[in-house]
Amino acid sequence: MASSQELSDFLRDVERRAFKQTVYAVRDDHAALDIVQDAMLKLAEKYADKPVNEYPMLFQRILQNTMKDFWRRQKVRNLWTTLLSSFGAGKDGEEDHDPLDSIDVEDESSNPQVQLERSQTMKLIEKALERLPARQREAFVLRYWEDMDVAETAEMMGCSQGSVKTHCSRALHTMAALLEKQGLGSRAIANLSTDL
Amino acid sequence: MSIDNTNQQDNEALEVQAKQIAGLLDAHANRLSMRTLKQLENGRARAVKVHAAQISGTTVHSDGTLGQLSAWATHHRLAASSLVLVTVFSSFVALQTFNSNESSDAFLLGAELPPEAFVDKGFEPSLNVPNSHLQQKT
Repeated sequence: MASSQELSDFLRDVERRAFKQTVYAVRDDHAALDIVQDAMLKLAEKYADKPVNEYPMLFQRILQNTMKDFWRRQKVRNLWTTLLSSFGAGKDGEEDHDPLDSIDVEDESSNPQVQLERSQTMKLIEKALERLPARQREAFVLRYWEDMDVAETAEMMGCSQGSVKTHCSRALHTMAALLEKQGLGSRAIANLSTDL
Repeated sequence: MSIDNTNQQDNEALEVQAKQIAGLLDAHANRLSMRTLKQLENGRARAVKVHAAQISGTTVHSDGTLGQLSAWATHHRLAASSLVLVTVFSSFVALQTFNSNESSDAFLLGAELPPEAFVDKGFEPSLNVPNSHLQQKT
């Protein structure tokens, strides 16, 4: 059984990555925060008796399922929103701006030019990732970002290993094509990657 | 054969690129806004609190307070089996009660007295008349 300290360390290790992955999937920061917090609570509540080495797989599964729940709820909500849209809604610009939202944790690089270039490149990569079909993105994230092998990814996605390979291959080709279109070739990515 | 090799090389190059992209995304994920980091920290703290409560056998309510409910009550399977057991037991008791009613009805129907005797208004008072009084009459 994992101790509370081990759980805390595990969550600290994965929470940022989990948040970004969820943002790419749901494209909404607030919803992504709710989903990650929900997944954390579910892990602590339902799998308190599991050893810490099982947490990565369990947490990923919970996260993916919570995202799917979000999509289901969103579908119903969208239906109601469409029906009630004629009553009018608040304007987008009316939300209060909180300065904390825009303060990022300090970038290691002190050169503003490098920071700007990196930020722009990341935006392109994020856009490309968001444009992938859901299953391809899921396969890409689990296989390359979470560094799972094909068998683990297949188990997580509930499909065959062959399907995982297909999803990954399509995701890689689509990503490469989208980035190439934006003028971000493999050389540029490699250069940026070595700068880290 | 050469086409296969080219495809394989392409795929390998794409896999390398995917790893590089994953590295960049990972680095980028570490640069979140202070607010997001704070909220993630709050979520983590809540999860750790729930975990600690689970280990110690207590329950955390949705408002964050701790309750000393017995641990088994939180397990849905146990709760479901208890419900089934209670239902079976109550059905058994109800069946027994029904059976006893049925046998008393059968007793009444099978008694030597005709059913009219039980309906007759004068029958019950006549049963209360003492035996000695009856003998004197005869």
